[in-house]
Amino acid sequence: MTIQFVKTICPYCGCGCGILLEIVDQTIVAARPDNDHPVSRGRLCIKGWHAHEFVHHPDRLTHPLAKNRGRFHKISWDEAMDIAIDRLSSAAGRAGPAGIGGFSSARCTNEENYLFQKFIRAGFGTNNVDHCARLCHGPTAVAMARAFGSGAMTNSIQDVVLSDCILMFGSNAPETHPIIMGRIYEAQAAGARLIVVDPRRTAAAQNATLHLAVTPGGDIPLINGMMRHILDAGLEDRAFISERTQGFEDMARHLDQWPLERAAGLSGIAGNQICAAAEQYAGAQRASLFFCMGITQHSFGTANVHALCNLAMLCGQVGRPGAGVNPLRGQNNVQGACDVGALPDYLPGYQRVADPGARSIFEAAWKRPLSAEPGLTLTEMTAVAGETIRALYIMGENPMMSDPDINEVKTRLKRLDFLMVQDIFMTETAKMADLVLPGACFAEKNGTFTNTERRVQRVRAAVPPPGDALDDFSILCRLGNKLGLDFNYADSSQALVELSCLAPIYGGIDFQRVAPHGLQWPCPTHDHPGTPCLHQGVFSRGQGLFVIPEFALPAESADEGYPFALITGRMFAHYHTGTMSRRSEALNREAETAFVQIHPDDAGDRGISEGDRVRVSTRRGSIDLSACLTPCIRPGSMFIPFHFSEAPANALTFAVLDPVSKIPSFKLCAAGLERGKNDDTHGA
Amino acid sequence: MPMTALDEAKMRVRQCIESGESHGVLGLIRKADGVRPYLFEEASDVDFLVLSPKWLLAKQAVSLLSKLPDVYRLSVICRGCDERAIRELIKRNRVDAKRLHMIGLACDADQAGACLCPAPAPSSVDIGTVVPGVDFCDDPGTKAFVSGDRKARRQLWQEAFKKCIKCYGCRNACPLCHCSPCKLADGLWVDTGKVPADPVTFHLIRAFHLADGCVGCGACQDACPVGIPLMMLQWPMRQALENEYGYCAGSDTGQRSPLFSSLTQCPSAGLPTPGWIDSREAGE
Repeated sequence: MTIQFVKTICPYCGCGCGILLEIVDQTIVAARPDNDHPVSRGRLCIKGWHAHEFVHHPDRLTHPLAKNRGRFHKISWDEAMDIAIDRLSSAAGRAGPAGIGGFSSARCTNEENYLFQKFIRAGFGTNNVDHCARLCHGPTAVAMARAFGSGAMTNSIQDVVLSDCILMFGSNAPETHPIIMGRIYEAQAAGARLIVVDPRRTAAAQNATLHLAVTPGGDIPLINGMMRHILDAGLEDRAFISERTQGFEDMARHLDQWPLERAAGLSGIAGNQICAAAEQYAGAQRASLFFCMGITQHSFGTANVHALCNLAMLCGQVGRPGAGVNPLRGQNNVQGACDVGALPDYLPGYQRVADPGARSIFEAAWKRPLSAEPGLTLTEMTAVAGETIRALYIMGENPMMSDPDINEVKTRLKRLDFLMVQDIFMTETAKMADLVLPGACFAEKNGTFTNTERRVQRVRAAVPPPGDALDDFSILCRLGNKLGLDFNYADSSQALVELSCLAPIYGGIDFQRVAPHGLQWPCPTHDHPGTPCLHQGVFSRGQGLFVIPEFALPAESADEGYPFALITGRMFAHYHTGTMSRRSEALNREAETAFVQIHPDDAGDRGISEGDRVRVSTRRGSIDLSACLTPCIRPGSMFIPFHFSEAPANALTFAVLDPVSKIPSFKLCAAGLERGKNDDTHGA
Repeated sequence: MPMTALDEAKMRVRQCIESGESHGVLGLIRKADGVRPYLFEEASDVDFLVLSPKWLLAKQAVSLLSKLPDVYRLSVICRGCDERAIRELIKRNRVDAKRLHMIGLACDADQAGACLCPAPAPSSVDIGTVVPGVDFCDDPGTKAFVSGDRKARRQLWQEAFKKCIKCYGCRNACPLCHCSPCKLADGLWVDTGKVPADPVTFHLIRAFHLADGCVGCGACQDACPVGIPLMMLQWPMRQALENEYGYCAGSDTGQRSPLFSSLTQCPSAGLPTPGWIDSREAGE
């Protein structure tokens, strides 16, 4: 009998907590907290404690599968490689390089994402590679890169304990980033004020010093109102503005359009509360700003993020420990997938594909010509699937659950000549594939994940993948070699070495250095200690840039037929499309099926009681689920978590995109509510 | 140069393995990946043994023992809190004392202070030097949860419980928790799918389940991501059992819990209604 303890990183959210897997004879019997981990320090949320439960699940994919006349058949890896390369190449032959697209995975390691984008870029000569960052912090990457020069969290998680004011926008961190919320509570216990801006009275809001229940989509009026008051009261940081920023004069003039009354009217927050929040934030010694999907998942998400950057620069609350602008990244490695170039407009290390200098370095290293034209985003690729995009390779993503308006996504994916899905379970998306490749989960691979605070951390294999499944790195190597690329890597560490030579922010990062406690990029050289706090003294782009955020009304507003504002999101026991968390016994016990949160008044008006079956409809479709009555949701709005395939929230959402970042408006659409009809069978 | 605690530990563990006294010793190892628990079975590994950070091993030792063959003799490096937990488990017939040997580690003053620990050493110390215990009342923030104005105290507890993220870490980390199915997860009292967990059905059920089992190791509190002072929830009951029945969980492997005895065995007849439930002063 062999007993091992393997230190690795939790596969769920972007906190990047350390977990200790206990392995008895190649079976993981427990996941426990890692007391020697700099982020989680011996603590975990419910998902972390049960992170191992799906690993040995009988539903795991164990063989490559090819679809023939609508049914899957087991095939060998050699056959699978033949089919994959043959079908992708023929699609590229017919439609040109731009006929191929790839969805990389925020679940997979940096090394795998690096190889994936290299496979698409070097193998097919297209930049049509993206991943689900498009659906979460796409606007953050765009806006913060433009305003500050870097799209990532400016500070470290532990920095927040230095703050005396914490302003959270659209983040329900107690459920979605629990270990970070623990740090925020630590700051609060030491005297910091916590201001939470959220239309819902979330767990975060319930613990706040001040909760601002903003009208859904009313963040820009609120932020502009705060800024205007800060200027009126003379609380701005003049020295910071003049020394470190540009564009302030235009911004200040723009704020003339935002007198308090207008801000209050459009944000739904009383003028005195706008002033109080503004004064507390501006007056703090060190103020931390945190934000999440409530800011980004709007058709004006990029403008929302610009508004937050403006507020921080106005008050000089960025570029110091304890003072910064902190997007909380969703998936375990969504930060890393962006860093290593799984984006259509960036090569690894945020080097623009349109920059000839950057491109030539990669062309020399990869020995292939690269396209100078930015590729299509994930949402754009789905929209033209079956038209310009003829073949899609999807690794560890589940757009049939995660993308807006999934009925439309289904129609689009069906039109493809070839769909290849690499995953660990037969997801809703994999079911539609022509070829399914069985990959490996976090506990079966070696590599690195990068958490929300830019900390590159080591992920370690604890057990082998089940059956004939292979770790995704090996699959990518086989695919690359089959396509004639030189993908002869002995192991994933070699890919990290290659990446570190090409992406200066990862220049000093290797397996040895990140082994105990990780390193935060930028880490340009092998003796660089990493960078816990960005923009100290000078912004990455030089001067910080004020960008006027244009206020827009939501693309769809409540009306007579659809009188509710529908908000989608997560709940504490499940993760995203539920592929992993719903196969965990403990997590499933906590939340077995779909529900919609509605206000008791709205329920009363319709004769709905707790637990009743209800039907929620939008112009896209309907789903049936159970009612959960809570005063934490405001009358006239409703909340549905998007984890449940039997009642998928994204059958209701719509593909209206932010014009800059192409993120869909998951956080706001118009919906109707009625009591369920048990004999009615037409659903989504 | 005098031997450090770490030298002592290495010597003791090496001796344990080489003499055949134990087949393996559960302790902490520091390798390239940082510190983690490790089952030392080869003397050559002992060079990498470390004693910090604080990492309670009682629960893992018991879990390992249940998986190892019956003939396997396991030693575990135990702090005072680990020892109390293991003794209580031995008393409750959950561990075979003959198969599990404890190597006693006395905590240093810093650790005792960090834990506000009244008994920072095991009964038999093999490693380190015993330092005096710490009274948690030295920390006003902690004391405020069990003494002072009742309304203020209630407010403190309500605020603390409101932060609960329902990770079940307090239950998972507790070396004494063992019901199957767990009463917090059997669907009877505790609502599912909602945070924060209800204080009465979640935290108080857990606390009362451990009324006479809690050894004050602090594993629950250490595991709590949101800083709920869970040891202070347990403290009044532990204190009452000690003051009124002379019972202290984990103090030895023989003493039976008063909850298992008939009332006629009570030390003092006619005890008042237990005002101790919510107050530090009432017990004094």
